[in-house]
Amino acid sequence: MAHPSQLGFQDAASPVMEELLHFHDHTLMIVFLISTLVLYIIVAMVTTKLTDKLILDSQVIEIIWTLLPAMILILIALPSLRILYLMDEINDPHLTIKAMGHQWYWSYEYTDYEDLGFDSYMIPTQDLAPGQFRLLETDHRMVVPLNSPTRILISADDVLHSWAVPSLGIKMDAVPGRLNQTAFITSRPGVFFGQCSEICGANHSFMPIVVEAVPLEHFENWSSMMLQDT
Amino acid sequence: RLFCREKADFSDVKMLLTIRKQLRNHPALIPLFFFIGGGAAMSLMYLARLGLRNPDVSWDRKNNPEPWNKLSPNYQYKFFTVNMDYSKLKKDRPDF
Repeated sequence: MAHPSQLGFQDAASPVMEELLHFHDHTLMIVFLISTLVLYIIVAMVTTKLTDKLILDSQVIEIIWTLLPAMILILIALPSLRILYLMDEINDPHLTIKAMGHQWYWSYEYTDYEDLGFDSYMIPTQDLAPGQFRLLETDHRMVVPLNSPTRILISADDVLHSWAVPSLGIKMDAVPGRLNQTAFITSRPGVFFGQCSEICGANHSFMPIVVEAVPLEHFENWSSMMLQDT
Repeated sequence: RLFCREKADFSDVKMLLTIRKQLRNHPALIPLFFFIGGGAAMSLMYLARLGLRNPDVSWDRKNNPEPWNKLSPNYQYKFFTVNMDYSKLKKDRPDF
């Protein structure tokens, strides 16, 4: 989850998010290098006493500062397109979960084998137990098995919402009347938090998403227990 | 003075000759033409690919009205795949 005064992304919990992190590091390094160079040039130009009023143009430097930015842009574009196509690949998910956005909670349906469905409301601040996170915890978490490709179908019941979990690198709009599909693999066990990312009314900031990745046996026990409760 | 001309001319051949003369005097423009031209060419080719190969597009309403209903499980419709090999997928859905 996010921590105070955090500057970078949250730690990756899925392979796609790892790719995004590395791409961001790569691009940000290029940006820092260019900005440092430009800042140095600005300072050098402003603080020099040398002037040459007769320079009109130079073919060599024009070629250099056309070729170099073009190559840098290609160096950024190729990994970016690769990740873009990678994120679109949904390779044989083992589990399909439906996440429906309502005002102002999420509901999850696991209907592959049995009819499991439950709502996920935020825990109000006054009901938090010690150690729980304010505005992020929910009463029921979306539990998924570890290391298993999971497809999630996202839609909404009333207005636009958006299902987002930054550690997994997922954000997908929940549009009423439309079914959006995305997939992920959780590469480590843990609890991953996200928040509704499309303005949806008074409690838009108070409908968080919690994904809990557990080994398969624990997932099976949890789903049996949830089925008995409902 | 990059764009000074001697007389106004509107024919395409004269325009190309003018450009070639300017390029000889300013070879720095060659990489510019290369990258901008290449980018434009690549964009147009991808647009053409999308228009002609995308199963969401129907040109012939009489003979091929809904090509999105005739998708094959083994054909790669996307331009580029990183990890998936569509030719190796199994077809485990019924035919209609």
